Amino acid sequence: MDCKAANDLLPLYFDGELDRATSREFEAHLDECADCRTTLIELDTLRSSLRKDAPRYSAPEALRSRIREEAAASSARQSSRWQRPRLALAASWVIAFIAGGTTLAVWNHASTAGQEQSRLTRDLFSSHWRALAAASPIDVVSTDQHTVKPWFAGKIATAPVVRDFSTQGYALIGGRIDYVGTDRVPVLVYRHGKHVIDVFVLPATAVHGSDGPVQLQGYVLEGTMLGGQPAAIVSDMDQAELTQFRDLLDTSSRSDNTLGDR
Amino acid sequence: MMSTSSRAFVDDLALRHLDAAYNLGRWLLGSEQDAADAVHDAYLRAARASDTYAGGNERAWWLAIVRNCCLARLAARNKEKKNVAIDDNPVAAERWMPRADADDIEERLDSSRRRERIEMHLRNLPETFREVLILREIEELSYREIADVLQTPIGTVMSRLARGRALLQKALTDNGTMEAPHGL
Repeated sequence: MDCKAANDLLPLYFDGELDRATSREFEAHLDECADCRTTLIELDTLRSSLRKDAPRYSAPEALRSRIREEAAASSARQSSRWQRPRLALAASWVIAFIAGGTTLAVWNHASTAGQEQSRLTRDLFSSHWRALAAASPIDVVSTDQHTVKPWFAGKIATAPVVRDFSTQGYALIGGRIDYVGTDRVPVLVYRHGKHVIDVFVLPATAVHGSDGPVQLQGYVLEGTMLGGQPAAIVSDMDQAELTQFRDLLDTSSRSDNTLGDR
Repeated sequence: MMSTSSRAFVDDLALRHLDAAYNLGRWLLGSEQDAADAVHDAYLRAARASDTYAGGNERAWWLAIVRNCCLARLAARNKEKKNVAIDDNPVAAERWMPRADADDIEERLDSSRRRERIEMHLRNLPETFREVLILREIEELSYREIADVLQTPIGTVMSRLARGRALLQKALTDNGTMEAPHGL
């Protein structure tokens, strides 16, 4: 990593917005670059001054009790169903999707299945947009499936099925390795028009449960299977494009299986 | 129509993040009364719009409403008084900032003094930079959450944050308020 690239990533690193693989590369650069270390220390000094010396104003008690009263009045008017909202309150945005019945039902063997699930969904979304924010969303840049697959093969146990769909408008542009929980997973990166599409190939232990997409801030996550492994597609494409892309993946991985049988 | 659950959801959301809302309002509007009124407006607006909450980060959704209410108040206030808020005119803000005496730079500032300085410099920043700094450094929101509050792309958040930090660092070092950097 050169200083220019490191400088672009520095605030992301400082704000905890960098994926772990890139963080490690950045730290390697930091070890040998005094300038970047200084910049980082300056940012940290500014943050500690702000946290120490800029007051975080607390809401006045009058405001709090006013809102509390109004809330109580409204709930008294509609006191019949009072339990359901409390459920919703506990929900983070991820759990809200689960309640909507559209999520990847994975890792449900774990005792804290709900938490694990939400962590997975969150990991996938954040990995996707962090990759977008980084200088380049891909570690290996190639439009050639025969380059991308061997690149993975050297780095993780099971190289995923890699197919290029550029003739159908979904061009393979490369791949990267990212973390989902503690697992290193391969990510295939495609481009469709201006959309970047990440396909996360998940560990086989991840049980794929539902077929509906999960939406978050204009990004969509949809589960599928890729060569017998669960996978998740994340992008900001619209639903029609996403469905088309998922069908392409499905068809290609099914035809692979057929070939394998022969 | 308003369902029970969505209204109760808003009540709880507003109360849980009331300090965050008030802090943002207080830094944007500069006055206790205005901040409290703006947060109350935001609560009423959120309660009315509770059925339109379409998922996503709930704290960001709530703070976005708070921010809109604050900006509406700022706009009304500026129109009323027909004077330019110091925020809208960074050049004036710079001129208005007192320069530190040479003595002050040498002098070890006590904490209340340091507090005043930081507050003053933060207040003198244009509000687009001030709000991202408050949301990031004090409320500790992620880039994505800030983007949702500001309803801007993440790239804009990153550039405003970088610019805001640089401006504040410059103001503080020019005035000798910054503590000597310590090692990481």
